[in-house]
Amino acid sequence: MFLDLNKKDPASLAVIDDSGQALTYGDICSFSAQFAQHVPARSLIFLLTENRNGSLLGYVACLSNGIVPLLLNAKTEEGTYRNLSDLYRPAYVWASEDNKHCAGMKPVFAAQGYALYPTGNVPVSMHPDLALLLLTSGSTGSPKLVRHSLRNVEVNAENVRQLFGLTADERAMAILPMYYTMGLSVITSHLLAGATVLLSGRSMLDKGFWATLREATSFTGVPYSYELLMRMRFMRMDLPNLRVLSQGGGKLTEEMFRALAQYAHDTGKRFIATYGQSECTARMAYLPAELALEKTCSIGFAEPGGQLSLVDENGHESFTGEATGELVYRGENVTLGYAFGPEDLTKGDENHGVMHTGDLARRDADGCYFIVGRLKRFLKIYGIRVDLEELENLIQSTFKTDCYCKGDDEKLVVLVADRQVAAQLPAFLENKTHLFHKNLEIRLVDEILRNEAGKVINQ
Amino acid sequence: MTNLEKLNGVFCEVFLVDATALGEGFDNQHVDGWDSVRQLSLASSLEDAFDIMLDPVDILELTSYENARSMLGKYGIAL
Repeated sequence: MFLDLNKKDPASLAVIDDSGQALTYGDICSFSAQFAQHVPARSLIFLLTENRNGSLLGYVACLSNGIVPLLLNAKTEEGTYRNLSDLYRPAYVWASEDNKHCAGMKPVFAAQGYALYPTGNVPVSMHPDLALLLLTSGSTGSPKLVRHSLRNVEVNAENVRQLFGLTADERAMAILPMYYTMGLSVITSHLLAGATVLLSGRSMLDKGFWATLREATSFTGVPYSYELLMRMRFMRMDLPNLRVLSQGGGKLTEEMFRALAQYAHDTGKRFIATYGQSECTARMAYLPAELALEKTCSIGFAEPGGQLSLVDENGHESFTGEATGELVYRGENVTLGYAFGPEDLTKGDENHGVMHTGDLARRDADGCYFIVGRLKRFLKIYGIRVDLEELENLIQSTFKTDCYCKGDDEKLVVLVADRQVAAQLPAFLENKTHLFHKNLEIRLVDEILRNEAGKVINQ
Repeated sequence: MTNLEKLNGVFCEVFLVDATALGEGFDNQHVDGWDSVRQLSLASSLEDAFDIMLDPVDILELTSYENARSMLGKYGIAL
């Protein structure tokens, strides 16, 4: 069974969600068996997920039974949902009973406030290795899916279990959304360890969040989660159960990194910064806690089972010694490839275990890696990936005007020459990118100046 | 500018709404996109506008326009 879940103690707690309801490993196994009676293996299914027990059960049941799920946010905007649904034509949808995307559909099975809806779509053809689909984060235009094999998911879980030394005693706070690669990785790795997942869909500004955090032995967040924790002065709180603080999904500021490393050192906790991408099933590198004070903002070394290298501008690849270049990762968690449409679901492994990350990194004399920039034009704000070229195309096609996008990991800057478009852009961009207005700046310019090569010169 | 106008200005900017939308029922149950990002931004904007420092406990309570209004009294801001 997926993650050997049937070999864990069936009486031990696997997950507790915000409702307070607990499920044991035995519950999960019997649910999986039940689910399989309603959905044939190799079906494509949409899981409309929230961080609730019903969503987790659906995910585990699919991966245990060779059913291929696409995990989506339960609150996916109507237009995006329709696009995906029309494009991929899933045979089933698993969603909470009140989900508006399933209004009017007839469920054939229900449990935990969730229901299984057959769509009547004919089964699609899929490659036998395909086990899981996730949407790349922050896609603004056409949806791009990442294709995972079962091996990808299980190897990631095993690597993460090893690097954190996870045991069945853990009570992991899982607040990152489960349709997001790192959120899913937190869940999967702790289930593999036979631990308890404290699954929460609460906002970090909800009192319930803080009550649950007091129970947790570990917390995994993105930079914004830590910004928020620090803003709430969590370092002054008494959190004796909390042993591990783990971070991924983008770069912390040096100041925050140092503060967290110092806090962990002073309170006997472990602060572990990690690095990863959806394309590599969440995690690829981590900085061991004992180096956190010394190696500010480093992503450390490859995770167990993986290998990092750098390819310099001359195409020369190196594995040791000081160097700078594009970061390359090798490991069994490198996913199969992307899907842009249903025909891609029949494809096998296109990456062959090697991922050119598009990130520019430096390796110091001790072999520690540091991300220093990007080769591709994209920003990562609050863990939301913003592809600048994709965004420019979207603005140009929607408003029929030239524009130029740039920025850093704090702010997206859009240059336009049309005053009316400039006025409409904040609302349009908030809607499309889910960025907040404080992270957007619209700059009105006289014209977008391009050189002969089409490169924008009034940057 | 009165303190009430300042308060309304902050809400209008943070939630991209017109001041007429503000009042009872303008809260995290009814306003789309009132998530933690926005709530924290609301807290920061209030702090900047009124030159105060909110207690973490009060940031957790910033879940409605009415709460924000009554909370300011605690910080010596009369509306």
